Amino acid sequence: MNGWRHPVHRLVWADPRRRARKLLQFAEVEAEGARDLFRAAERARDPMLRRRFFAHAKDEVRHAGLFRARGLALRRTLAEPGPDRALGDGLIPGERGFDDLEVDRESAASLLAFIHLSESAAARAFATYGAVLGHDPETRAVIEQIARDEEGHMRYSRAELSRLAPERAGRALWAARLRRLWRAYLRLALIVADLISRLILTILYFLLLPPFAWVAKRAARKEAPGWRDCPARPQGRGGGQY
Amino acid sequence: MKILGISAFYHDAAAALLIDGLPVAAVQEERLSRRKNDAAFPMGAVEWCLDRAGLEPEQLDAVIFYERPALKFDRVLMTLLRSFPHSWRIFPKAMKNLLGEKLWVRGIIAAQLGIPARIVHFTDHHLSHAAAAFLTAPTDSAAILTADGVGEWATFTVGRGSRIGGQARIDLLREVRFPHSLGLFYSAFTAWLGFKVNEGEYKVMGLAAYGTPRWAQEVRQILHRTEDGAFALDLAYFDYHRAVDSAYSRRFVELFGPARDRFEPIDLDSAQGRHYADVAASAQLVLEEVMVDIAASLRRESGLPDLCLGGGVALNGVANARILKEAGFERLFVPSAPGDAGCALGAALYADRILFGQPHRDCPDHPFWGPAIDPDDLARLAEEDGLPFARTGESELIDRVVEAIGQGAIVGWMEGAAEFGPRALGHRSILADPGDASMRDRINRDIKFRESFRPFAPVVPAEQADRYFALPPGGARLGRFMSGVFPVRPEWRERLRAVTHVDGTARVQVLERDMAPRLHALLTAYGRRSGVPVLLNTSFNLAGDPIVTSVAEGYSTFRRAAMDMLVADNVVVRRQGARQEQRLEDVA
Repeated sequence: MNGWRHPVHRLVWADPRRRARKLLQFAEVEAEGARDLFRAAERARDPMLRRRFFAHAKDEVRHAGLFRARGLALRRTLAEPGPDRALGDGLIPGERGFDDLEVDRESAASLLAFIHLSESAAARAFATYGAVLGHDPETRAVIEQIARDEEGHMRYSRAELSRLAPERAGRALWAARLRRLWRAYLRLALIVADLISRLILTILYFLLLPPFAWVAKRAARKEAPGWRDCPARPQGRGGGQY
Repeated sequence: MKILGISAFYHDAAAALLIDGLPVAAVQEERLSRRKNDAAFPMGAVEWCLDRAGLEPEQLDAVIFYERPALKFDRVLMTLLRSFPHSWRIFPKAMKNLLGEKLWVRGIIAAQLGIPARIVHFTDHHLSHAAAAFLTAPTDSAAILTADGVGEWATFTVGRGSRIGGQARIDLLREVRFPHSLGLFYSAFTAWLGFKVNEGEYKVMGLAAYGTPRWAQEVRQILHRTEDGAFALDLAYFDYHRAVDSAYSRRFVELFGPARDRFEPIDLDSAQGRHYADVAASAQLVLEEVMVDIAASLRRESGLPDLCLGGGVALNGVANARILKEAGFERLFVPSAPGDAGCALGAALYADRILFGQPHRDCPDHPFWGPAIDPDDLARLAEEDGLPFARTGESELIDRVVEAIGQGAIVGWMEGAAEFGPRALGHRSILADPGDASMRDRINRDIKFRESFRPFAPVVPAEQADRYFALPPGGARLGRFMSGVFPVRPEWRERLRAVTHVDGTARVQVLERDMAPRLHALLTAYGRRSGVPVLLNTSFNLAGDPIVTSVAEGYSTFRRAAMDMLVADNVVVRRQGARQEQRLEDVA
């Protein structure tokens, strides 16, 4: 179903610098996911669910370690590893974890539905990555191992959802799907809005600021570094913003 | 009066509530949201503070924000103009940041709390620091020194505080202005050493002990003294005032070499690792020189024997100890939360005493203003997970913990209300045997998952502190909130291996019985058993997490880190080993 994406993934994963960077970013995402799940375990009232979340969180910690170890190993083979982040990292396919999930505000059912869908998406994504990593068997082995775990997480979260909210499971899954869609839209909208606002503000910067900058620079030249008297604030006054 | 203080939108958001001049509650947002250094509007902290006092927002007489957003905007805009056209990349981000949220604080507070905007007030960032340091200190008059990254314009201030006839007064006399900043100077080295800015500064301090300050002369070139006794940075070496993602410039790299790759560990046996330690030692030394010299001239100018120190730089325990020893002050007061979180309390105290002219009242001299634990939660969690637990009386509890630590156990210790500030001072601590060097490695590796060069702190009863640590006069006071680094007496270094840093020092907590009676009793009992009433005391959290607040968080951390024992007030849970952990996972 995702076969049309293979050329994109092949391109993304072909460059060893980007591959190392993505693996290290995955490690951070998994570590964040682990924090969310430990938090979920701390909030869970149901003992079985708590144990499940805890075990899942420990898996995420292990995954973070695996991604990090492989990312670092790859990075060490590079003459110039490049920056930790690059423009466009947010646009290319990748692991998104639980997408800024606010665990404290979720009910058990919506949390489980969200986890189920996230893990299911991750399992699919990792299967695709594995398919285009024939040239790097070590990275492929790491990704395949993690993909198997994600399938396990997908199953337990669905089973727990049915156990804890048998009547609301279907609705919760649909609500979670819509939320994922909404967040994907928001993510895209924010990226576009960010680009537009940057462009406008940069144009304003070069059009409007030069005369003010000239005055500010002249004023700055007159200022000697060192002590300055503190602004006087009469006792009992001065609660304003300025 | 009921006054709520708020700090937010930079790092370490917090709220503090004052009723009739006394603190009732104070907590950092990160302790509730569980996001380290959470800078977002601290709604959780505000709600908790109000709940603690049983208040609704409309019952508040005033809300005070810890800095002046419009002045901050003025500084940011002026800095961007002055560095035109190099600031073109930072301009869109800065404008979105300020115009998107930070400039409209009055409206945000009023809307979030549902209160009229007219009861929302503001104060200067460094006045908040000064108030947090002076108005909580048990002194009637003191010199005041504040130092941090930057507030509105000021980065460093000196002044004095007094309370005569029950009326408090704070006069900040002089300031050094942005971009010249000791805090940002230190942060640039933090970034260059591959640590997170605003979080990793204490790692630089820990690393410095491994180096020799052979780069001090170069560092003095970029942080030099001005003729009037202040300091200035050579801005050619820094980029924080004009770049989005870099604190130091290319010239900085030309001088000190390439920055450390944050993904690679520091190997102190390699030449490169030693170079990083040497540069850290040089930056630390020059920071200390400036702090000590300015403090000494403040002592001469003010003639006052006490100094109150505030701002993030006051977390530098090595510099604090040198100020106490060399600047001529008899006592040095550093609050438990000298950084931006503490400004929430400082701003509330400033509003009460100075803005509204209420008479001064002495603040209780402890840091425990956060949420309290419920030990029943631990009993429930342990029972549900099939872990053995016990409810015990105090003496039996102490015997059990002493016995466990004596046998090499690592104990999670939770008691009462959480600390306000970045240090675990005995209510949310991990405790262990201070004599076993392998203990330090085990905690660094297995519990805290952190760099091996970072030291652990000891806690000692005040009445016995001098026997084990070479405290200068006033040192015990500085050690009250773990704010000073002092030498471990040479004859005890071997017995205190796990808490003695490579340079023979320790960031000791000197514990008065009144502040934490149960921990004090534990130390005394441990002293009877082992001959040394000292314990290793580190914050109860894992790397990257905030310090735990609730029992559930403590229990989760206890299990994640494979600690041996967990204590929550009078409930004790003991881990039965890896087999039991495996059984729990099998059940899951």
